Amino acid sequence: MTGRLRAFGRLFGVQADWNYERMLGAGMGYAAAPLLGELRDRDPARYPEAVARSADFFNCNPNLAGLALGALVRAESEGVPGPQVSRLRTALCGPLGALGDRLFWAGLVPFLSGLTVVAVALGGGLVAVLVMLLCYNAIRAASGWWALRTGLREGMQVGRAIGESWLPGAAERVGPPAGFAVGLAIPVAAAWLLGPRAGALVPIAIGIALAGIALAVFVTGRATAIRLTLALLVLTQLIGRVIP
Amino acid sequence: MLPPVDVLLLLLAWGTLVAVDLVSLPQAMYSRPVVAGAVAGWITGDLEAGFRIGVLLELFALDVLPVGAARYPDYGPATVAGVLAASGAAWPERTGLSVLLALSLAVLGGWSMQRLRMANASAMQARAAALAAGSPGAITALHWGGLGRDVVRGMTLMVIGIALALLVRVLPPMSPRWEATAAAVAVGGGIMAVAGGAWRNAGRGRRLTWLAVGLAAGVAIAVARAVR
Repeated sequence: MTGRLRAFGRLFGVQADWNYERMLGAGMGYAAAPLLGELRDRDPARYPEAVARSADFFNCNPNLAGLALGALVRAESEGVPGPQVSRLRTALCGPLGALGDRLFWAGLVPFLSGLTVVAVALGGGLVAVLVMLLCYNAIRAASGWWALRTGLREGMQVGRAIGESWLPGAAERVGPPAGFAVGLAIPVAAAWLLGPRAGALVPIAIGIALAGIALAVFVTGRATAIRLTLALLVLTQLIGRVIP
Repeated sequence: MLPPVDVLLLLLAWGTLVAVDLVSLPQAMYSRPVVAGAVAGWITGDLEAGFRIGVLLELFALDVLPVGAARYPDYGPATVAGVLAASGAAWPERTGLSVLLALSLAVLGGWSMQRLRMANASAMQARAAALAAGSPGAITALHWGGLGRDVVRGMTLMVIGIALALLVRVLPPMSPRWEATAAAVAVGGGIMAVAGGAWRNAGRGRRLTWLAVGLAAGVAIAVARAVR
């Protein structure tokens, strides 16, 4: 297996030792190792420095980490001065975090999850779940491979390459479909979960939802949905077991 | 009736894989409740319970953006335990209690992830000199150490989850009226979570418009199905 393929595989676990000190820095170091091997033979004096730098602080969306990984390895192999490599590393954190979070966590994931919820509620079953997994992982693998290749090709010019690529546009365009899918999922899932003979349960569910949203918006940021639901479920169990 | 040991072991293995998928490896989204629940339902032999608990908890998970250093609930193993608690009972029996168990476990999972991140930082500090010297071995050890700790975290969560789910299964049910009310409370909480998250993420641009369009289309589908 080539170094590039091994690095690509390792990027799937780039957050395995995520921590509050270097965030996914050490994971980047682990993923960079197969690509830095060549430097060990060519420039043994620089190699330990490059390995140390590869595990420094770094944070971004893990699905786009390949862009930074490729660019940093290319810079190391071209003999770019160490402080300049470190500056590139720091400079890439913000854009890759913001773009990746918008594209994946706030876009693709809610879009596919929302559609899967609708599909399951309408009887799509396991097929719907499998289609979601296939779609997400195909997009993720393709974008991850593109990211690593682009980083390795562009090196220190990776910032310009990101700006001119499909990434900023895709991050912008995925928002509305994600909003639509989540909006669609709310009533379809609620109706399916409450069932055809829900009757008096519908006002209970809607009342709780509206009261909770109002509390979260107007009262305090600590009144999260999960806390309110936990409190109400405990209360229901206590009352329901005392009053039959 | 309690499920056989092989089913419990499969759920332990599946829940652990799901816990590790959330952050460490491979983030393939099988930790999403709708996926984790479906597979757990298939393992327990009650696919319907898997779908219902999975969809319900997916509504809560859609409220969360799993970004960077944020602390967020771990819904994957929680869903697996919730499905075990709910399986074998006719909906909505045990739904409220199963969701109560799942949400509590999700909060515990979020807390455990924070502890894991601190443990990873301690391991990193212990190898600071080797890292500064550019030792590939130190990086590899840190990486596999972090993964191992996450496996232990996931397995521990699942052991707790399975034990509590078995307890839920042997508890006598409430009256049908209260069981239905508890299920409605859980669904209401799910709507509250997903609607709150969708509203926050929508901002004031096109996404908000499309959220409203999606809501209208969803209501139309729900009404059409109810009338039919």
